[in-house]
Amino acid sequence: MIELKNVSKEYEGGVKALNRVSLKFTEGEVVVLKGMSGSGKSSILSLIAGLCKPTEGEVVVDGKHISKLADHFATSFRRENIGMIFQKYNLIVDLSVQENILLPLVPLNLKNDELEKRLNRELERSNLVSKKDIQVKKLSGGEQQRCAIARANSNNPKIILADEPTANLDEKLSLEFIASLCEMKRENRTIIIATHDPLFFDLDFVDRIVEVGYGKIV
Amino acid sequence: MIISPEVLTIYIIDAIFILFASVAFVISVRIVKNYDVNATTALQYELEKKSYLVATIIRCLFYIKVPFFLFFIFILNNISFVLPGAMCGAGVVNSSSAAVPLLFLKLLNSYLFAYWILLDKDDMSIESQPYIKQKFFLYLLFYLLLITEIYLEFSMFLNIDITSVVDCCGVIFSHTDGSYMAQFFGLPASFYITLFYGNFALLLLSYLVKSRYIFALLNLIFVIVALLSLIAFFGIYIYELPTHHCPFCLLQSEYNYVGYVLYSLLFLGTFNGVVIGLHLFSVDVQKEKMRYSLIFLMLYVSTISYYFLGYYLKNSVWL
Ligand SMILES: Nc1ncnc2c1ncn2[C@@H]1O[C@H](COP(=O)(O)OP(=O)(O)OP(=O)(O)O)[C@@H](O)[C@H]1O
Ligand SMILES: [Mg+2]
Repeated sequence: MIELKNVSKEYEGGVKALNRVSLKFTEGEVVVLKGMSGSGKSSILSLIAGLCKPTEGEVVVDGKHISKLADHFATSFRRENIGMIFQKYNLIVDLSVQENILLPLVPLNLKNDELEKRLNRELERSNLVSKKDIQVKKLSGGEQQRCAIARANSNNPKIILADEPTANLDEKLSLEFIASLCEMKRENRTIIIATHDPLFFDLDFVDRIVEVGYGKIV
Repeated sequence: MIISPEVLTIYIIDAIFILFASVAFVISVRIVKNYDVNATTALQYELEKKSYLVATIIRCLFYIKVPFFLFFIFILNNISFVLPGAMCGAGVVNSSSAAVPLLFLKLLNSYLFAYWILLDKDDMSIESQPYIKQKFFLYLLFYLLLITEIYLEFSMFLNIDITSVVDCCGVIFSHTDGSYMAQFFGLPASFYITLFYGNFALLLLSYLVKSRYIFALLNLIFVIVALLSLIAFFGIYIYELPTHHCPFCLLQSEYNYVGYVLYSLLFLGTFNGVVIGLHLFSVDVQKEKMRYSLIFLMLYVSTISYYFLGYYLKNSVWL
């Protein structure tokens, strides 16, 4: 499903974030990437999402050689197949909850009733129905993260990538977040979480924990 | 030698062109030599990244080049005011041996760069980028033409001698002396009318037949036919003077700058027509290009006919 073959990533300025990493993720798998700060977890997620290109090696996602695609093709591939959740939510804070959730669907040219259906599904699941017209910047941290999940889910992605999703949440909200991941797992989505939150290290539904250290798989 | 703010502008823009075009050239050489679609080496990723950079540079060169061409023509006209004897751009062109080849090269290069941009667009619209090597190889050739153009441009402005008297267009495109021009202008009106409108009628027919090669070829012929018949025949209706044959005067304010309109329509139209013969576009794009070609050329033919027929309606005589 997702494969990194001998991938190296060197940033401008000579920082070697990844050094000949090979990794495989199968469909429906939930994998936690753990490791010290700066070990290269976020870089792995960016490469899978096609947000950046490797310096060497190849990234294949669902049969697509995403590392070889021109930017505009990588973007449309990401839009259709990958949902992303970030530590800082990356929501557009001046837009309302429902506008943020609908945003990834704009380029898909869906019919109005399909849009409506998806929006209501995500609002209910994230328990944000009553807040749908409120600007995101007025929400609490937990609500913002739930909105980010709803947005990541709205285009029915096969793959969910989460980068430090609970770094800004207290334990109760983190557990809530984990419950929603568990639900996504039941929908057979492939989920990769980069985190150093110990809450993730002994969960039943996590299939594998991969440790990253100094740009290598430990 | 001639130095004016406008000519200096040309020198400076040319210098910038040389710089960027050369950067693009050096990278293109590397791409043509080392690009391998299937490789996942560091070199390949670097070349992929640079290929976008080079394509952007080439696009920018073109987008500056086209208005710059018009600017160049405008300057030729301006220089004619300081060149003793010259009345329009024709005198300036005639004063330097580099000028005629330069004009043709400028036109050719504009077509080639525009073609390159369409090829690039098509290439970028397919995931596997099937034309990538072809487009950068072509750029290597176009680069040599571009450098030749810039060389000719420099030598033209350096060689213009503002102290010696040059011919005006009335002499260059003279009706009376024994030159081949005179014979050419002496051909009957019916010859030009048949040639011009006949060529255009065939173009319309080939659009209905939808053969891309015939359509492209007829467009190519139309450039030449339109320019010749403009100088030899239709121009006199714009000037309303049976002896005035000049491709430059119609760029001047006395004639409402109609030359800029005419040349733009002609070159836009024929470019869209010629390019479909050079590259196999998708059916929709090809149809669109054919339609653009016809629209521009129809406007060209209408404008020319307006002067030609308008004169007759006003004066009830032909020139
Ligand atoms: N855009 C960038 N430009 C330059 N260096 C970068 C860039 N992104 C990451 N790096 C460097 O690459 C290395 C790996 O970074 P990465 O973000 O992948 O680590 P991480 O494991 O996600 O760390 P954290 O747990 O702190 O999020 C770090 O040394 C970082 O400074
Ligand atoms: Mg990180």
